[in-house]
Amino acid sequence: MLRSLRLAALLCGSLLAAAASARDIDAASYGYPLTNPFEATIATTPPEDRPTLPSDEDIDQKDYSLNLRPERAFTLPDNFWSVKKLKYRIARQDHAAPLIFIIAGTGAPYYSSINEYLKKLYYQAGYHVVQLSSPTSWDFMSAASRFATPGVSQEDAEDLYRVMQAVRAQHPRLPVTSFNLTGYSLGALDAAFVSRLDETRRSFNFKKVLLLNPPVNLLTSVNNLDKLVQTRVKGIDRSTTFYELMLEKLTRYFQEKGFVDLNEALLYDFQNSRQHLSNEQMAMLIGTSFRFSAADIAFTSDLINRRGLIIPPKYPITEGTSLTPFFKRALQCDFECYLNEQVIPMWRARSDGNSLPQLVDQVSLYALADYLHNTPKVAVMHNADDVILGPGDIGFLRKVFGDRLTLYPHGGHCGNLNYRVNSDAMLEFFRG
Amino acid sequence: MVNRLLIVTALLRASSVQAAEVAPRTSVVEADVLDTPHHVLTPGPDGFLNPLSELKFNPGLNQREFERSTLTALNIYDPLESINRRIYHFNYRFDQWVLLPAVDGYRYVTPHFVRTGVTNFFNNLGDVSNLFNSVLQLKGERAGQITARLMFNTIIGVGGLWDPATKMGLPRQSEDFGQTLGFYGVHDGPYIMLPIFGPSNLRDTTGLVVDYAGEQSINYMNVPEESSRHPEIFALRAVDRRYNTNFRYGQLNSPFEYEKVRYVYTQSRKLQIAE
Repeated sequence: MLRSLRLAALLCGSLLAAAASARDIDAASYGYPLTNPFEATIATTPPEDRPTLPSDEDIDQKDYSLNLRPERAFTLPDNFWSVKKLKYRIARQDHAAPLIFIIAGTGAPYYSSINEYLKKLYYQAGYHVVQLSSPTSWDFMSAASRFATPGVSQEDAEDLYRVMQAVRAQHPRLPVTSFNLTGYSLGALDAAFVSRLDETRRSFNFKKVLLLNPPVNLLTSVNNLDKLVQTRVKGIDRSTTFYELMLEKLTRYFQEKGFVDLNEALLYDFQNSRQHLSNEQMAMLIGTSFRFSAADIAFTSDLINRRGLIIPPKYPITEGTSLTPFFKRALQCDFECYLNEQVIPMWRARSDGNSLPQLVDQVSLYALADYLHNTPKVAVMHNADDVILGPGDIGFLRKVFGDRLTLYPHGGHCGNLNYRVNSDAMLEFFRG
Repeated sequence: MVNRLLIVTALLRASSVQAAEVAPRTSVVEADVLDTPHHVLTPGPDGFLNPLSELKFNPGLNQREFERSTLTALNIYDPLESINRRIYHFNYRFDQWVLLPAVDGYRYVTPHFVRTGVTNFFNNLGDVSNLFNSVLQLKGERAGQITARLMFNTIIGVGGLWDPATKMGLPRQSEDFGQTLGFYGVHDGPYIMLPIFGPSNLRDTTGLVVDYAGEQSINYMNVPEESSRHPEIFALRAVDRRYNTNFRYGQLNSPFEYEKVRYVYTQSRKLQIAE
């Protein structure tokens, strides 16, 4: 009897454990106004649904720079003068407070708009805030990255960790009560790897780590982004390119309206006008912005490592040199091309790597599944309609994070981060 | 008996949790149907909506639209590129070491309402050339609005320090001589990176000179004459202009910022002329 009771208790316990499932937010109570994932990704939350935030003038903030790779001052060409030192931004409280690091997403610098938004949010809640560029950002690659070939998450995390340690060393008198970490998009994947690195290096002992819309399988995300520019857009023909189409729409919109009024409501007004964009056009727009990031990454990585794929290794570059031909060449390289031509060869040479699936396993969240499953301080927020995810990714997150996954029904890719419900949840997570 | 009860309660609990998990998904679909009837995303078993699944893609052999568009867009007439690029780097440094520190100091010593007043004052002066260029482009309605703005702001707004006209529904609309030339079909000409002023082209540089000369000869509220005697007015105007310009060199965070600025400048001028 006793044994069967114990068995029953065990059974009951395991059932309850399995029931510790993700927090699914239902659409009706969530109330996010943009149900179209592409619209949400581009326009983000309408101004009236955003949290009230302090203005820049009310924040005690300053940019600093770190000289982490002094040799680059000599090896980089003249026109890279502005990125020979790594800049970051710190907003400080005037009293002892917890500190939060924010890592930017793909190709984004420390002052990206989402970083700025997160800074204001956490600063208002009483945190010191340090904003960092993404390891895929131009400035980070040139000034802080050892191999300047971002994409291998473990290496990127080590670069980031060094930057964070240097930031801490530059402000020894900043009264910090605890360290926290967050990141969005690719920055969230980086944050997960940094968090695991911190378990052994122990410089920060992060108290809480929050991942916002991370890619789960990096290859899926990269393929999705590459695919976005291949949508069939109505109105493009031999004589009209995609940009001309966009500009025509914008011109007609302004002419119908009578004047140019560039404000935050413009995007919503535009989508409600006759000139509104179709899903394919919006997908193309999102994809285009990522392709420009891909071009920057491919070019910078090639130049710093002198691989000769885009720019000849000994090509003389001064401040007057035209980079347009190399820009054109770099633009023809999407993320997949960058992965195949630059990341995989370097990864193979450095770490005895083999196949693409092996790399994908190493650089995606899969590599951290056990760690994330057993680490209650890490949580994730994601959207059911995020364009960087593929089938099965949310299932993986549910399995690994359990009730530490908050799944929102709408928001596209990072579009709902500045929705009041999300910002409250983000602050609540760090408070708890 | 006891364990059977336990199992039953456990099962009940689990099923209720599952039900709770299923419920939000169905409501997502309903919400989508309500908002946009043509676009329904069916959730997968784990709740994933797969937004890419409903897009139409080009066939595999015809996937070069991004490259075609972008490479075409990069073709902008720029014969002075080498000099332009050097000036761009000069501007970048000048901005970082002179203009932005000046703006920071200005922001430090003046309260917000003073800065707004300064901006309004110079905007009011600028409305004179906006008015002339609207007239030159035969835009009657706009010219009327700008005249009204000038009157309200100069008289009620005490010489333009306040901007009551915008609150009355007459927003500022800028027209310069470069736009007037463009309106009559004058082409851009070569792209020019002006020292300190930033991106321009031959047509707009000409426009800038004409607008400046016009301002001097009209001498509205005696300000142009006074600023030649007191260069600090001119300096204040420059700082005010920088204070109101959001662009920062390096903000595009790309090794190809020069190309991007060139494209955006050219296209935004086209938009301004068309509007």
